Amino acid sequence: MDWQALILTLKLAAATTTILLAVAVPLGALLALGRGRWLAVLEAVTALPLVLPPTVLGFFLLVLLGPKTAFGRAIVSVLGHPLAFSFAGLVVGSVIYSLPFAVQPISAGFAAVNPALVDAARLLGAGPARIVGTVLVPLARRSLVIAAVLSFLHTVGEFGVVLMLGGDIPGATRTLSIVLYDQVESFDYATAARTAAVLLAMSVAALAAIYASGAARSARAGSTLND
Amino acid sequence: MRRISTARVLLLASILAWIPGAAQTGAQEPVRVAAAADLGPVLPGILVQFQLATGIHVDAVYQSSAALTGLIENGAPFDLFLSADLDYPKKLIKDGQAEETEPQIYARGTLVLWTRKDSGLAPSLDLLRNPTLKRLAIANPDRAPYGRAAVAALRSMKLYDALAPRLVRAENIAQAAQFADTGNADAGLISLTSARTPRMSGSGHYVEIPHGLYPPIEQGAVVLKRSRQSDRAHRLLGYLLSRQGQAQLELGGLTPVQ
Repeated sequence: MDWQALILTLKLAAATTTILLAVAVPLGALLALGRGRWLAVLEAVTALPLVLPPTVLGFFLLVLLGPKTAFGRAIVSVLGHPLAFSFAGLVVGSVIYSLPFAVQPISAGFAAVNPALVDAARLLGAGPARIVGTVLVPLARRSLVIAAVLSFLHTVGEFGVVLMLGGDIPGATRTLSIVLYDQVESFDYATAARTAAVLLAMSVAALAAIYASGAARSARAGSTLND
Repeated sequence: MRRISTARVLLLASILAWIPGAAQTGAQEPVRVAAAADLGPVLPGILVQFQLATGIHVDAVYQSSAALTGLIENGAPFDLFLSADLDYPKKLIKDGQAEETEPQIYARGTLVLWTRKDSGLAPSLDLLRNPTLKRLAIANPDRAPYGRAAVAALRSMKLYDALAPRLVRAENIAQAAQFADTGNADAGLISLTSARTPRMSGSGHYVEIPHGLYPPIEQGAVVLKRSRQSDRAHRLLGYLLSRQGQAQLELGGLTPVQ
């Protein structure tokens, strides 16, 4: 078991999930509360990472973040090196790759909140930020939990983007999925099976803990209140 | 609503009409080749020549030799395996997957140091000692033959320990070239076959790593036992070993063996 890779993977998934929640809550609120045809376009764009093969998405990011584009050159001038082959680069790739897994549940959860409650808050003078903070987020807590779990797991299992963008550097970009792939490709099937077993056991344990926890249950209660 | 469903039916119908047509093209099945990634820039042209000369259609898949060996071991329907080394074909022979008892060496590979022209770094062995070299792309040495050669060459130059933290490992040799070509790595130890492609020779330049610095990259082929058209697979292998085939391999950046 490559513990360094496991810790790196958990760090990557935690960073990605944190950023995704910060991005997906305002985005989901915009999709749920907003009006206008362009919102459909925005919603479609947030779903796009599902369409592209991950290695192709990784390749596009490799080019975009590299010194051949103005955007990439700006990053190089700030950081002194390209984002590719670094932990920060993987975070950027993972946020884009897992975006739909955070936005879809949250915007669906916000949309399911009884509109009368939103209207009541609005009539009482609450601005959009207050509506999101005091009405939507508490009532759609469960979809936030689901979004966080999905984003985290999707990042743990992420492979194609990491393969294209990572460069397989121990401690920086060698995630568990890359280690697993290396073990399979080296015909080390026994070690690969052990690594996969540890990963699966940990995931089941963590998921069961989350679903059984008070947070998820009270979130369920919250959504029934909403009916 | 009705208009949408009509459009859908038409789309579905056109797809269904197309599928059997695709399956029927050519009375004979194509010869399926599992080819090492370094052959990607070279083999397609050779296969066109082969088809013109013999009428035999060939489908080739390009991946790392290790990935292809894994596919073959698990029943992938290939007729001919063109590896970038001898170890993987030997493994297939040992596991009873190949017709031959020894892999047929069809070419030798050459390792080059490649940099982008706009990077300001001239490709030379001195560059490997230069601290401005921040990222050097190589293929994964655990399984890609060119990656093994790259590590061996760095060790012969006693540079491996100094460069190890600056190495980025690509899944196969074609991806190592991609890392360097997109400018994300400052330089790459890649195959001469990649460096000779119009794209890479336009955007960059290279220096050959002296052959004495790494064990020869002997590329071996085996015809697979599972093949139902091994005579045609042997004809393709024979063509690769012919004067014409060897000349084309040489043009693409491989050293002929005949």
